[in-house]
Amino acid sequence: MTSPVATSTVIRVRVNGRDVEALVPVRLTVAELLRERLGLTGTKVSCEMQVCGACTVLVDGNPVSSCTALACDLDGTEVLTVEGLAQGRDLHPVQEAFMAANALQCGFCTPGFVMMAVALLDTCPAASADEIREWMDGNLCRCTGYAPIETAVTLAAARTDDGSPEDDQ
Amino acid sequence: MTVLPELGLVRSGDLDKVLAAVDYEHAPYAGGTELVPAMGLGLRRPAAIVDLKRVEALKGIEVDADAGTVTVGAAVTHRRLSDHPGVRERLPTLAAAASRVGNARVRSTGTVGGNLCFAEPRSDLGCVLVALGAMAEVRSARGARTLSIDELIVGAFETSLAEDELLIAVTVPFEPAGTSYWKLQSYERPTLGVALVATDSQWEVTVGAATERPTRAVIAAGDAAGLAAFVDSLELSDDMTGPSDYKRSVLRARLQRALGVEL
Repeated sequence: MTSPVATSTVIRVRVNGRDVEALVPVRLTVAELLRERLGLTGTKVSCEMQVCGACTVLVDGNPVSSCTALACDLDGTEVLTVEGLAQGRDLHPVQEAFMAANALQCGFCTPGFVMMAVALLDTCPAASADEIREWMDGNLCRCTGYAPIETAVTLAAARTDDGSPEDDQ
Repeated sequence: MTVLPELGLVRSGDLDKVLAAVDYEHAPYAGGTELVPAMGLGLRRPAAIVDLKRVEALKGIEVDADAGTVTVGAAVTHRRLSDHPGVRERLPTLAAAASRVGNARVRSTGTVGGNLCFAEPRSDLGCVLVALGAMAEVRSARGARTLSIDELIVGAFETSLAEDELLIAVTVPFEPAGTSYWKLQSYERPTLGVALVATDSQWEVTVGAATERPTRAVIAAGDAAGLAAFVDSLELSDDMTGPSDYKRSVLRARLQRALGVEL
């Protein structure tokens, strides 16, 4: 390569329904963009190895590890974080289910689990027990509160499959 | 949070432009599931990444009924591979293995090409693709060549690609009857993977994850002594998921069960 290579790029991205245009360095991660530039600190960063799932956000509906995804890839996409789930004072059905099942202890992993559950139920609304385990087993809870989390996702799946109104669309 | 060092970006939808850019300092980049953590740890310090995600030629999945093959572009994600109806029909074992790679985030962003070219030994796809005799199409600005996945993966984190070469696609023959893949896994990567293509006349056994690279043997069906010798000859890794003796005894038990033989 003889021509100089750009080290930053302009992205236009919709974050939680809001249009954002930003000049981002290529080295900037999605988590850095969300937490440090947009003030969306609900997304947590922990292992930085795509293992723990604390940083899970949805990009065009797909679950992504925001700690190791680059913001330069977000151009033209729609990003959903935990802050974008509730509509005013109405919580998302997955958030309601986590509350109903007491599916959180210290809460650090919760945004990641909730976002992964939202991705799952958007993809397979009638997720089976096996599908729930297959999707959720990439998220870690150091408080080891897995049983109530599984209960919450099962509850949310049952409610979603009942035809309850989806409020994130 | 880890802050990555300054990084350049080469981005084009044109394969030739991408090929002109790729070298050691300009690293091919698609899902980033391996490259970005490696950059974060300082194990890989390219001057720039070359984004492959806009190159349509790297994103196809084509089923060729006449040739009896499925060709999968290097930038196809694990999730697209495992969801594709043609792949599920013709390569059900590969589709199932892809549906269990890493976790749901890795599957939605990580690609077949990245998985193979990073050559992490604890990989499911490498083992299954070696077992199926898959071929890799490789290109550079200098030309093109075709080699088997067995020749592509030469060791732990090591491929036979030159610095300016790019994996374009993988062509996989339709799975024969008697194909299976089984793995032992406790953490995010497999501890041991065993791919079998078993017919009345022969057993093709490919062992992955516990070996530096997928290791394949063809043994006459019923040749228990030959199979035992293969199991004993393998150099298995010793790591936090277990010592080599443990992995060897699990491998032996798996083969006994799958092939109905005493080892």
